[in-house]
Amino acid sequence: MFQLEKSIKSWLSNLYQQRSFDEGAIREMELHLRDHIEDLVSEGYTEKEAFDIAVVEFGDIPAVAKEEFTNIKVKTTLRSIIYTHMFKNYFKTTVRAFMKYPLSSFINLIGLSVAIGICMLSYAFYCYVYDIDQFHKHKNKVFLTTFYVDRDGTMQEYGLTPTPIGDALMNDISQVKKRCRINKASVVVKYDDDKVFYERVKIVDEEFLEMFTFPLKWGNPSSLQKPNHVILSEETSQKYFDDQNPVGQTLKITFKNGESRNYEISGVSEKIPESSSIGFTFLINFDNNELAEPDNHLNDWGSFISATFIQLKNAEDAEAVTEQMARYIEQQNAMADNWKASAFSLQPFKTLYKKSASIKFNILGSGYFMFYSSFITFSLIGFFVIVLAASNYINIAIVSASKRLKEIGLRKVIGASRQMIIVQFMLENVFMMAVALVIGVLMGTGLFIPWLEETMGFNLGFTLYDPKLWAFLPAILLFTALISGLYPAVYVSKFQIAAIFKGSFKISRKGFLTKLFLGFQIMLACIIISVAVLFMQNSYYQSGRSWGYNKDQVVYAHIHDYSYFKKLKAVMEQNPDVLSISGSKHHLGRISASVNISLPERKYEVSMIGVDHEYLRTMGISIKEGSGFQNNVSSTHNRDGKSVLVNETMVANLGLENPIGEVFKIDENRYYISGVVHDFHLTSFSNDVKPTFLVVGNPKNYEFISLKVKPGAELKVREDLRNAWSDLFPEIPFDGGLQVETWGRYFESLTAGSNIWGTLAVIVLILAGLGLYGLVAINISGRSKEFSIRKVLGASLQHVSSIILRQYLAVFAIALLLGCLISYEVTETIFKTFYRYHMPMNYSFFIFSGSIMVLVILAIIGIQIKRVSESSAVNGLKAE
Amino acid sequence: MYIELYCILKLKVLFDMISKNLTAASTKPIILGILKQGNSYGYLIIKKIKELSGGLMKYSDGMLYPVLHRLEKEGLIESKWSVKDDERPRKYYQITEAGKKELIAEKEQWTQVNAVLNALWEVKPTS
Repeated sequence: MFQLEKSIKSWLSNLYQQRSFDEGAIREMELHLRDHIEDLVSEGYTEKEAFDIAVVEFGDIPAVAKEEFTNIKVKTTLRSIIYTHMFKNYFKTTVRAFMKYPLSSFINLIGLSVAIGICMLSYAFYCYVYDIDQFHKHKNKVFLTTFYVDRDGTMQEYGLTPTPIGDALMNDISQVKKRCRINKASVVVKYDDDKVFYERVKIVDEEFLEMFTFPLKWGNPSSLQKPNHVILSEETSQKYFDDQNPVGQTLKITFKNGESRNYEISGVSEKIPESSSIGFTFLINFDNNELAEPDNHLNDWGSFISATFIQLKNAEDAEAVTEQMARYIEQQNAMADNWKASAFSLQPFKTLYKKSASIKFNILGSGYFMFYSSFITFSLIGFFVIVLAASNYINIAIVSASKRLKEIGLRKVIGASRQMIIVQFMLENVFMMAVALVIGVLMGTGLFIPWLEETMGFNLGFTLYDPKLWAFLPAILLFTALISGLYPAVYVSKFQIAAIFKGSFKISRKGFLTKLFLGFQIMLACIIISVAVLFMQNSYYQSGRSWGYNKDQVVYAHIHDYSYFKKLKAVMEQNPDVLSISGSKHHLGRISASVNISLPERKYEVSMIGVDHEYLRTMGISIKEGSGFQNNVSSTHNRDGKSVLVNETMVANLGLENPIGEVFKIDENRYYISGVVHDFHLTSFSNDVKPTFLVVGNPKNYEFISLKVKPGAELKVREDLRNAWSDLFPEIPFDGGLQVETWGRYFESLTAGSNIWGTLAVIVLILAGLGLYGLVAINISGRSKEFSIRKVLGASLQHVSSIILRQYLAVFAIALLLGCLISYEVTETIFKTFYRYHMPMNYSFFIFSGSIMVLVILAIIGIQIKRVSESSAVNGLKAE
Repeated sequence: MYIELYCILKLKVLFDMISKNLTAASTKPIILGILKQGNSYGYLIIKKIKELSGGLMKYSDGMLYPVLHRLEKEGLIESKWSVKDDERPRKYYQITEAGKKELIAEKEQWTQVNAVLNALWEVKPTS
């Protein structure tokens, strides 16, 4: 008997065998067949005939399926089908493994993300450091002229240059194409009546903008040829004119000697890139140099300007030009007694920023060094955190592989080769990395970089639109994937099938490597925490360290000449909070002079501070031996010359056994030492205490007024002084403040340093803690049967705890010990590099950092022990 | 019986039918043309083709479905299931705006081909 439904069903099963039809298509075709049969039956065929005809007319199913396949699906090969399904399967197992062990996956993911985020940070530093000055078109051909001077036996390279050298080079040496002299001047700039500021102008030759190709936003670079024109940086333009185009406006610039000129604004630069070591706020023509420094003569080899850059026709000529420059040595040495050059030299501008720390009085300053060392530090930290995250990954991957033994065994049974298993586990790892990469990039750009920029107070100029970044990120992905994934993958692929299924296979939990990685993590965490602790200690130590004088009760202001001093003194003397008032040419924390003194048998470079008789009392500088300044020289010592006070460093450096009464000369003037003062810091603790002497200067030259005030009255007196100033000199901005502020951002940068290390320490501690937690958790859950049996047999909590602890104890002890030793060395190196006067090093930091580590370790293991003790032995034994 | 019938159909294909390639090439404009006249479902479309061609154009019914699915993927037609209580569910196809445009283009091409062939066959050989 023919059964229609059965026949249709068997026909449909043919359709189902074809992979290319989806449910909808099969249903559609089934309905087609039924419609057709119905029509045929109504035409008079039997059900069986109707079915046969409909089936035949429908046609060959594989042919239809083939057609459907080529139409609907993407053209694929057999190989690609196999691979798609294989990878789909891998992906599924990856996601499932991820979801099944969310804790360890989360630990891995966060660790890797943070590591990648920190790598982004060091990449941003890298870009910043290596992009410096590279945007100038002629960077290869531009050189800074420098010269070497023998300073008490060492050759010191100087970045300032004798004023005439630029023109001399142009005239004498044919390979020189252009020269640009640069000098700096402090001026007062006034626009309208309400905008008056102290500014630094660069006095430059018109070639400046040709050598250093800063693009202009408005105006014309060649306008710099005219002596009464000025070019502004974008920032400056905004300060005075907001977003208006200021070209054509007039600024009044007042130079140090009181002379004023009007300058027409003829250009505004684009924003000066973050990665520029040389910058400017105002540019005016070099003809103005005689206004700024009347004593600086164009043809005087004894006069110096901030820098002279030259541009060569060919970069290769540098050596030949350097040789020819020897001809100027004689000329200069005849004029400048204290600046006897041993050699002239050229420094390529392209790499100048790297050397700027070793070239004295160099126009770039030494900011680069800080960025470079930050880059190295962050690269190292980024690398260590990657290694830390990778060891987390390796440990957890190996241990958790024990839970996937059956899967691995099964794969091998159905024909997976060792390579395929490795590929599978590597792919899992790459997948994890890719997710971590996305999170890491988000963390880096959204969190780490802004945080660092805020803490350090500058802009890295980092952008995601950097094509190099998109080459860097896959490289990081591959690197981390390889170091973290390769070992577990190879390890897992080695498992023997037979052993797995017989159940005799055991992953050794006492793995040497696992312990090594664990120890490494603990050590790394210990190091970084210790460094953080040391930085905080140092920060605290330095803020409490004496400056060598009484910094707390002093208010000061920068003045222009003696008339300012007289007027201000007259007002401030009335102030009941002011204890003493002093005028000086130089001022601690602000400025000192560098002079060369001549002793009978040697020449020596020291700092000089011109002061008055009140200065010692006002600043709280204490006399160690001898007396203060001698008023009447000839009567007491019967020597001609001026009485000076020297500091201890100068006495030590000169090797004076009995300094009082010693005589030295500066040029032809005689000075004799009437007293020794205790060492004091002219500038922040990042610089050495320099050999320094104090001398009573001519009141005409006073540039500072200092006030000693009653304790606690500092802020009030500063306000009084400011008010007095604006009453007396409404035209001139006030430049002064509390003495404690003279080190600028020094203490801020100290705090920033300890904040950065502190944050890193927290991150690393969390990572290492998570890693330890994951490892111990997996270890314990794998031994739940063992612990259950122990508990049934009557093991106490202490006993179980000691069993768990014992296996890690040696690792922890060694890791902490090594961490302690290494962090001591590391921090000492860092301190020596950055801080001249860091705290005395000892191992006390380890009390703190070590106990943090021990606490964290105990807490983590404690949680696990608690879990074991609370778990029911019955469930533990029942568990598979 | 089955084999017999199959052979007859096969022979028919060999001797009477419009060639397979031509049939395949014309399927697209034909389907679009039918759907332009109104929405329809697979069985009805194929019935209509058989009717219109007077049985000359006939290929295995199943082959229609891959073509429909391809046209749908190309966006020339749309489909939707219509489920009613009193009759079988049907998957109705409907021509889209793009399909209408495509039909016009196809029409032009076929007219051109037709014109070329006409021109060839009407011209008498020159002596």
